[in-house]
Amino acid sequence: MKRIRSMIDTAGAEFRRNTEHNRRVVAEFREKQEAARHKRPQRDLDRLSKQGKMRPRERIEKLLDPGTPFLELSSLAANMAYGGESPSASSIVGIGVVSGREVLIRADDPSVKGGAWYPLTAKKIVRALDIAMENRLPVIHLCDSAGGFLPLQAEVFPDRYMAGRIFRNQSILSKMGVKQLSLVFGHCTAGGAYIPGLSDYSVIVRGTGAVFLGGPPLVKAATGEEVTVEELGGADMHTSVSGTCDYPARSEEDAIRIGREIVAQWDQERKWDCQREAPEAPAYDPVELYGIIPDDIKKQFDMREVIARIVDGSRFHEYQPNYGKTLICGYANIWGFKVGILANNGVLFNDSSLKGAHFIELCNQNATPLVFLQNITGYMIGREYERQGITKDGAKMIMAQSCSRVPKFTVMCNGSFGAGNYGMCGRAFDGRFLFSWPNHQIGVMGGDQAAKTLVDVKVSQMKRAGQEPDQAVLDKVYEDTRKAYLEQLSAYYSTSELWDDGILDPVDTRNALGVAISASLNAPLGDSGYGVFRF
Amino acid sequence: MALQLRLKGREHSIEIVARRPELVLRIDGVEHRVAVMPGAVMLDGRAYLFDEGVTGDRHFVRIDGRTFDLEAVDPDLEEEAAAGGLDVIRAPMPGAVVSLAKAEGDQVRRGETVLTIESMKLQTALTAPRDGVIERIVRQEGQTFDKDEAVVLLVPLEEDAREQTS
Amino acid sequence: MSGKSFSKVLVANRGEIACRVMRTLDAMGIASVAIHHAAEAGAAHARMAGEAVEIAGDTPVAAHLDGRQIIEAALETGAEAIHPGYGFLSENAGFARMVAEAGLTFIGPDADVIALMGDKISSRNFAQKHGVPVAPSVMPTEELDEFVRQAEAIGFPLLIKASAGGGGKGMSIVREASGLREAARIAASEAQRYFGDGRVYAETYVERPRHIEVQVLGDGEGGAVHLGERECSVQRRFQKIIEEAPAARLPASLRDEICEAAVRLAKAAKYRNAGTVEFILGADGRFFFLEMNTRLQVEHPVTEMVTGIDLVRAQIEIAAGKGLPLAQKDVRFEGHAIECRICAEDPERDFMPETGRVARLRVPDRDWLRFENALDEGRAVTADFDPMLAKLVAHGPDRSMAVERSIAALKDLALLGVTTNIDYLGRVLDHPAFRAGDLHTGFVSEHREALAEAEPEPGILAAALAAAAMGLREFRDLVEAVPEPHATIGGWRN
Repeated sequence: MKRIRSMIDTAGAEFRRNTEHNRRVVAEFREKQEAARHKRPQRDLDRLSKQGKMRPRERIEKLLDPGTPFLELSSLAANMAYGGESPSASSIVGIGVVSGREVLIRADDPSVKGGAWYPLTAKKIVRALDIAMENRLPVIHLCDSAGGFLPLQAEVFPDRYMAGRIFRNQSILSKMGVKQLSLVFGHCTAGGAYIPGLSDYSVIVRGTGAVFLGGPPLVKAATGEEVTVEELGGADMHTSVSGTCDYPARSEEDAIRIGREIVAQWDQERKWDCQREAPEAPAYDPVELYGIIPDDIKKQFDMREVIARIVDGSRFHEYQPNYGKTLICGYANIWGFKVGILANNGVLFNDSSLKGAHFIELCNQNATPLVFLQNITGYMIGREYERQGITKDGAKMIMAQSCSRVPKFTVMCNGSFGAGNYGMCGRAFDGRFLFSWPNHQIGVMGGDQAAKTLVDVKVSQMKRAGQEPDQAVLDKVYEDTRKAYLEQLSAYYSTSELWDDGILDPVDTRNALGVAISASLNAPLGDSGYGVFRF
Repeated sequence: MALQLRLKGREHSIEIVARRPELVLRIDGVEHRVAVMPGAVMLDGRAYLFDEGVTGDRHFVRIDGRTFDLEAVDPDLEEEAAAGGLDVIRAPMPGAVVSLAKAEGDQVRRGETVLTIESMKLQTALTAPRDGVIERIVRQEGQTFDKDEAVVLLVPLEEDAREQTS
Repeated sequence: MSGKSFSKVLVANRGEIACRVMRTLDAMGIASVAIHHAAEAGAAHARMAGEAVEIAGDTPVAAHLDGRQIIEAALETGAEAIHPGYGFLSENAGFARMVAEAGLTFIGPDADVIALMGDKISSRNFAQKHGVPVAPSVMPTEELDEFVRQAEAIGFPLLIKASAGGGGKGMSIVREASGLREAARIAASEAQRYFGDGRVYAETYVERPRHIEVQVLGDGEGGAVHLGERECSVQRRFQKIIEEAPAARLPASLRDEICEAAVRLAKAAKYRNAGTVEFILGADGRFFFLEMNTRLQVEHPVTEMVTGIDLVRAQIEIAAGKGLPLAQKDVRFEGHAIECRICAEDPERDFMPETGRVARLRVPDRDWLRFENALDEGRAVTADFDPMLAKLVAHGPDRSMAVERSIAALKDLALLGVTTNIDYLGRVLDHPAFRAGDLHTGFVSEHREALAEAEPEPGILAAALAAAAMGLREFRDLVEAVPEPHATIGGWRN
């Protein structure tokens, strides 16, 4: 495959300006991430160390095979919710290697309100288990949670995709033959007790680990019975009397050792046979992405330059290079895995939509996973385009994409607006993984656009009411709308709400996709088949 | 998750830092590029020929006319010993003591039979969990016990060490 | 002399010496019979022999000491002679007599000579009578005046000790007449106090003594030759660990004097077969008879290497009545040979015996090297027998070359699975005092600190740790079981 020839002037003023801008953007992201990971009230940290407990991230580091990657997902979940009280949504999720096996790790964070589950915690865990199901990834739960965050129970407990879904997903996972292991480091109370309860294997740490439906205070209140934590749900009771847990551990380290050995017993999922070649580092330094991503979302850039800094050897086989040029399609390898890439180089026209739909079909025929690099303002609108059937051409792309049997991966590179989000495998389309870059914005339309639209609506309303439009009122409508949009358009809002699987430093995109694609191959390739295309 | 190897009572740690393009191990805090083939180890670009012999827990490596008698530290045992878990022989099931092979004050080696018990018409030998000295025989010949009862206590390791040095 | 020849010989021993004897039997076309205890079934010496007979005993050692069973085995297998090797029954006069009475040939001296030399007092008296110097001594007495008078007559320095005791109690070295009486008085009172026996004893104290011994061959009819001397001064726990031939820095006239004394003794005793006369040699050049070993010595290969004579063949031929293999004038010496005794012991724990299993044995192959052993990979090293595992014997054109070659061979030897003194022996040979030939029986303790193992060079230690780690299944799995692309991506975090 031919190498992409970069047209970027890395010594130019624009490159420098972009680099400065994006380094600032990434620094801000890293700062937020650092705070979410490590900034905790001293009181909580002291309590943990007094109990002889490790921080959840230490547990994960000890659990992983040394010198192997950990792709953390949604590290900034809930960063704009609950006044920042639930960093990373009080839970750590990621994909790594344990005893040579790819696994999904999900850890409670006892350094935040005793590991209590907020609404977004439940959402994050449900999503994590969805990932496990979709990719057949064994799950290791590191349990240490007080249970649901009671003040917000209405948003945690009752609905279909709330906490109950966690246990439903656990059950389905087991039915699918995807293993689960719980390492019980702390308390698993109420619903949380079902996590080890529904795991295929569980290890519990003597002294600090406990599993019960109701803790001692609840028992006392309910029946008057006075009982200690150990008697009620301690390691010795559960491993020798109730059989709720399988292995007692002397310490957290011991639990991790036992856990690693359990994982070593598991049969490994056989990956389906995706085309693979020996990996090759990109010919162009991924750090140059900082100079390529523009400092203003409205500035256009050539997505080939991005592809050149993500794929193996910067090699790219471009499909239909002369047709529908606003959508780049072609084959490349990422960490050796053959992928089909669809990347936006402008608004989607009829031809680019048809090209996209066709390329998606080719990839399905060829069993090639799809990678979508989004920077899309939408499908072209206007009389001419409607007459050409832009809607039905867009629908073909959406149909082809939705019904794909190959795994799909989406990276939100800059902007994602309107129906373009759908055609390019937005969150609703069950891509295996969706990541955002920190500069990215997403919404049904841009902030200015929305503000203008709403001002027009206001003017019409006032005119209908026989009023003279008041410029001050209109200015306020414009500003308020724009501000509200901007906040909600930002990648931080997106990731806070778990509309993605996490923000990525653009430089990390290649590794993240490598781990993600590798994980996705554990699930068998789906059946081919489509709905009815409207031609 | 470092491997600990004991050499002449001193522990050395070995951690994996990277596997590609070559193996990098952190040995006692220093990173080395390592490739091990049968009979030869490359360390930071230098080749060392070695012979190796393994017997039980002992791992002998001979390099450059020098023999290293190494033993992998079993963190399980260390932790259990530190927690005193190896100081007690517990009954695995309810029964009675048939015979005592050791008396209080006797030296025992790990795996050596200390007493024989009978339960459900089956005799079982209970062995010492580690090398040490019998401190107390809690259940004498003919006496009965319940499941998990401590039947024999060993002199705790620290005391043992103190006695040996004083 | 013509004599008879043997067609089958039983080797009443085990280990390296049994193998070594059988090698010569093979070369001579004589069938061999091995004996072994059940615990040694399938051992190298039993495999090497044409026939192997199992002997019973509560312990393996007890079996090897049961002469009656061994003679029965010889009779049953039709062996005509028994070679006893060293140790076990090799210096047992009663056994030699039983062998003869059974109509078999004992490959060694007459039982009477064994008995004569086996007794400290009788051998000493015999040596003295035939002009072989013995260390002057004062016989045990309680009479202080008489003691002092006799002691003064011997001269100084003198070693005074309690006649009944050991452990250094009442022991002292007296260098001048003025201190003699007081030292004797103290020794006597301590002897009385500790042992309830006030008798004291004195003998000439030899400063920095060297152990020099002479290999002799006798025909049993008064004819004898010597095959030169060996120096066995490097000892630990009163046992030799390094022997060499010839002795270093021994003036030719003194060497001749010592060797002649040994031959004189052998002739006087009408000694038959191979034997060794041991002497203690002082820094002042005085030497005294210690004892005579009426058998093949552990360290006989160094003599073989410098003389080119197969001592076992000589033993067999003499026993067969063929007389001495050569005359004194035909004995030639060439170069220098050093033997290192490789023992399962820990030099860092006062050379205490060690046990284990031979997990790896790799022996350098050189035409100047003999590695006498009966080791098998996988076989346990137990406390049943002597801790000596093997002998590494190197020859060189001169002493310094023999030292270099020995060091190189030790370095190149791998015998793993049990703690050994291999590296320690290398350090002894490499010590400047050893290289200079400045030897005495206190060498090991004199140089204790210099002979301790140094800290390993960091690179070598790291290489050893890396090799061991990768040899451990769990660690190797941890390195190798990581799938791609994760192994290449490495410890990346996002």
